[in-house]
Amino acid sequence: MFLAWNEIKYSKVRYVLIMGVLFLIAYLVFFLTGLAYGLAQDNRTAIDSWEADGIILPEEANGNINMALLSDQAVDQVAATEKAVLGQMAAVVEREDSSADERLDVRFLGIKVDEFLMPEIIEGRAFETDQEVVVDVSLRDEGLLSLNDSVSLLSSEQTFEVVGFIDNAKLSVSPVMYTTIEAFQEIRFGEMEQERDELAISAIVVRATNGDIANVTIDNEQLELIAISDFISDLPGYNAQVLTFAFMISFLIVIAAIVIGIFIYVLTLQKVSTFGVMKAQGISSGYLARSVIVQTFVLSAIGIGLGFLGTAGTQLALPAAVPFQSNGLFLIVVSAVMLIIAVLGALFSVRTIVKIDPLKAIS
Amino acid sequence: MKAIEFINVERTFKDGDKEIVALQSTNFSIDRGQFVAIIGPSGSGKSTFLTIAGGLQAPSKGEVKIAGQAFSSQSEKKRSRTRFSEIGFILQASNLVPFLTIKQQLQLVNKVDKKKQREEMLELLNQLDIKDLQHKYPSEISGGQRQRAAIARALYNDPTIILADEPTASLDSEKAYQVVEILARETKKKNKATIMVTHDIRLVEYCDQVFEMKDGVLKEKSPDSLSSGQGS
Ligand SMILES: Nc1ncnc2c1ncn2[C@@H]1O[C@H](COP(=O)(O)OP(=O)(O)O)[C@@H](O)[C@H]1O
Ligand SMILES: [Mg+2]
Repeated sequence: MFLAWNEIKYSKVRYVLIMGVLFLIAYLVFFLTGLAYGLAQDNRTAIDSWEADGIILPEEANGNINMALLSDQAVDQVAATEKAVLGQMAAVVEREDSSADERLDVRFLGIKVDEFLMPEIIEGRAFETDQEVVVDVSLRDEGLLSLNDSVSLLSSEQTFEVVGFIDNAKLSVSPVMYTTIEAFQEIRFGEMEQERDELAISAIVVRATNGDIANVTIDNEQLELIAISDFISDLPGYNAQVLTFAFMISFLIVIAAIVIGIFIYVLTLQKVSTFGVMKAQGISSGYLARSVIVQTFVLSAIGIGLGFLGTAGTQLALPAAVPFQSNGLFLIVVSAVMLIIAVLGALFSVRTIVKIDPLKAIS
Repeated sequence: MKAIEFINVERTFKDGDKEIVALQSTNFSIDRGQFVAIIGPSGSGKSTFLTIAGGLQAPSKGEVKIAGQAFSSQSEKKRSRTRFSEIGFILQASNLVPFLTIKQQLQLVNKVDKKKQREEMLELLNQLDIKDLQHKYPSEISGGQRQRAAIARALYNDPTIILADEPTASLDSEKAYQVVEILARETKKKNKATIMVTHDIRLVEYCDQVFEMKDGVLKEKSPDSLSSGQGS
C-alpha cells in the first residue's frame, strides 16, 4: 500500500489518466447493465408482480400467450392453491382528445377483481365497470395519460376511462392496462354479445403449494402447465435481448481487464530497474508484487466507484422513457467481477517482477 | 567473529566455450568497525567481488559467510532476507526509489519489516546533513545529497555490512571526499563493516585497509605503495 499509494501520488497525471480510462469503461458497463436490466424488466414486470408459480395455456399455443385461447370452464379442471383467469391482448389505443400520432401500444389484461392477479393501485382506484381500466404508471410519468382520461381502441369504437395507476406493469416492453375479463371479451371479439355463461380467456395463472408446480394437477390433455420462469424466458424476443446484453457486458468487462492489465504491465516494465534496486536491497518479490496488485486494486476501485457515481448521476437526468433501471445486486456483482478480473490482469506483471534479476538492474 | 568472510571464493563465466575467471580463488574477511577499499582497473573483477559479497550472484566455488552464518549457499529467498537485514548497498548511480521522498525511502524499510526497532529517522537524516531535504524526491536534490540519502537508507536498517560500489563515481572530488568521510565516520560510529570499491585512489586515505584487484586477484596493498601510487 505504501509503495503503491506514494507512486500514484508522485505520478499523478499518469495515474489519473488510467483511472479516467477505468472510469469510462466502468461507466459504460454500469450503464449498459442498467439498460439491459431495465429492458429485461420491461418485458416481465407485470408477470413478476403476479407472484405466480405457473401458467396454463392450451398445448397448441406452444407457450406463446398471444396464440392462446381457451374457455374459462377449464378453470374447474385445474387443481391449485390459487387460480386466476387471464385474458391478454396487444392493442393500440389513443387518448380521446389527442392528435392522431399519439398512439400507444399497450397490452390489455382482462382479470377478475376478486382473483389474485388484481394489482395494487398506487393512485386512483380499482376498475369497477367494463369501461374502466387501471394502467401502468409509466404512462403517467411520460406524460401520456392522466387520471380520468378516456382512451379509445383504434380497432373498434370502444372507449375506457383511466381510473387508476399501478406500478411495475409492463409486458413485452408495453405498458399494461388491466380491465375486467368481460371487457377483454369485447376487445378481443368486438361487439359484446348477450350474457353468456362461457368466457374466452388466454390463460389460467396459478399459485402452487410450496411454490412447486408439481403440486398442480390438470384434468385436461389439451392444456399445458408452464413454470412462470420458463414462460418468461420464452416471451418473444426476451431471451435474445438478455443474451445480447449479457455478451456485450461480459466482453466489456474482459476488455477492461485486458486494458488495465496492459497499463499495469507497461508501467511495470518502466520500473524494472527500480524494482531491481529494491530487490538488491533485499525487498522480496512478494512485497513488490503485492504492491502492484494493491495498486491495481486501488486504481480499479476508484475508477469503478467514479463510474458508479457517474451512472447514478446520469440516471437522475434520464428521461422516463429510457428503460434504465439499476439493481443493487447486479451492480455489486458487476463491480466485483471487474475488480477481480482487473487484478488478474495485473498478475502478468507479477511474473515479470519475480523474474527481475537485481544483479542486472544495478550494473 | 568476522562480519563477512570469503572462503576460497571463485567466480567464472562461460563465454562460448571459453571460460573467463572474473574472480580467482579468494580468501578475505573483515571485522565490524573496519572500512576497507578495493581499487583496481575496470574489468578486474571488483563488482563481481562486491555482488558476491552481497549475495546478488553465487560463487562458482567456495563459500561466503556473514556473521559466521552460511550465506552464499542459502536459497535465493533466504539470501534476499539476509540481504535486507544484514547488508546495506550503496551504488554508483542512485539506488533510491524515484517516487519516494527521502524520508519515505527510510519509511519503506519500516513497512517491509515492521518488527525491528530502528533509530530515529530524522536524527539519522540530521547526522548526514539532509534533514531539510526529507520531503524532496531524489530528482530534486544534487548527486552528493542523493549519495548521502543512499547512505542513510543503507544505515537505517542497522546492517552488519555496508557495500559501496563506486559511490563517488558521479560526484566532483570535493563532494566525493565529503561522502567518503561520512561513510568512514558512520562505519566507526555505528560499528559497521564497510567495503568500498573505488577507482579514485586519493579516497583511500579514510580507509583502514586497501586491497587491489587485478585480473580477478585480490591483494592487500601496503600503505607505502599507496603513497607512491598517489604521486603518479
Ligand atoms: N555476467 C557476466 N558474464 C560474462 N562475463 C562477465 C559477467 N560479469 C562480469 N564479467 C566479466 O568479469 C570480469 C570482471 O568484471 P567486473 O567485476 O564487472 O569488473 P569491474 O567491476 O572491476 O570493472 C570482466 O572481464 C567482465 O567481462
Ligand atoms: Mg564495476
